[in-house]
Amino acid sequence: MALPQSLRVSVTPPELELVASQQLVEIVPLIAMEKTAFISGAYGPLRPPNKAKVPLWMAVNLKLKKKCHIVAPEWLNVEFLQERVNLETTQPTFSHLPLRFAEIAKVILDVASNDLDNPDKIRSLLKDLREARQAKSRDGLKELDHSELSLPNLCSMEINEIRPYFVQAMNVLTQLVRNPVPDPLR
Amino acid sequence: MDFDYFSVDAILAENQKIQCTFKQEILGMGHLGGGSERNIAIQSKVQMPIWMAYTIIYSDWAEFNIPVPFGSRVRNALKAEPCSVRLSNLVGAGGLWYGFGKTIMDILSEEQAKEMSETLTKTFKGRLVEVVDQAQHFAALGQAGAGGSAGNSPQAFREGLDTTERELFSLAQQSAKRTKNWYEESGRANH
Repeated sequence: MALPQSLRVSVTPPELELVASQQLVEIVPLIAMEKTAFISGAYGPLRPPNKAKVPLWMAVNLKLKKKCHIVAPEWLNVEFLQERVNLETTQPTFSHLPLRFAEIAKVILDVASNDLDNPDKIRSLLKDLREARQAKSRDGLKELDHSELSLPNLCSMEINEIRPYFVQAMNVLTQLVRNPVPDPLR
Repeated sequence: MDFDYFSVDAILAENQKIQCTFKQEILGMGHLGGGSERNIAIQSKVQMPIWMAYTIIYSDWAEFNIPVPFGSRVRNALKAEPCSVRLSNLVGAGGLWYGFGKTIMDILSEEQAKEMSETLTKTFKGRLVEVVDQAQHFAALGQAGAGGSAGNSPQAFREGLDTTERELFSLAQQSAKRTKNWYEESGRANH
């Protein structure tokens, strides 16, 4: 294969961001638009000041042209994230978060931080969350087994980060663990 | 590290030499040992690459000793502290300690093989967290500051990684770096 090694093992973070951009978010449009058909579906109509649900990529596009406000998802606020951080630091398991929360949060913080309450606090909470969860996946590495791995509530970006070396380490372990059935050729 | 027919790693791992003691006289094959004798005598000790030793051991012409990289000294050291053993020194540059161990394990008797497998697995697991930790540390450092002062123990550990662990190290490092770059860049600047 001609793909570089780094692209063979997993998808890249920007690709994940692209996938996450398909998810619907609520916006408050500032322009009116008829229902319009796109390849992924028909969205609209936009009738200010009524809220509308559009894919994230479209919301970003409109926002950058100052034609809408993005309504933050119910999990993207200080109270919710603070509670998750508390859970994360007190419980041994990963707390439940939307699968693509890291991507969506970053995109919204990048383009629409003025639509959020206290974006700096949200940023720092997200960072705390990431660090707490990273520490847990590091602990998980100690318990790594050759045949199975269960990662409940781990999010797409985190799975993507640990995938290359978890898979490789499990491959190695599979080779090293003694098979109960002897090789038939021997 | 998989061990199918086309695996270059497997070929490299089989290129390590082990010491065999011949139980039978082999006529006319003395030149293979590199000496000037005509025959390989009984009880003579010959260093042989594993790929050749397979056939000879299975045909019961010779027996072999557990090679030094897996001898009791190394095992005891690994039992004490897996991270302080320099695996790369045991098998030479570019050597596959785990691959070598795996090939040896395959020709050992069931009981010895189990013990060997346990040593290999424990060592690998014991070192894995440290490997990944250091990889992530280096990914966070970026280009600058990758030198580190000589003689400190993390550096000694890094130099002691065998090829299998080096691959893991670079996988973890690249992955951490990519994710970190994504978190830090703001892709909206060019819109």
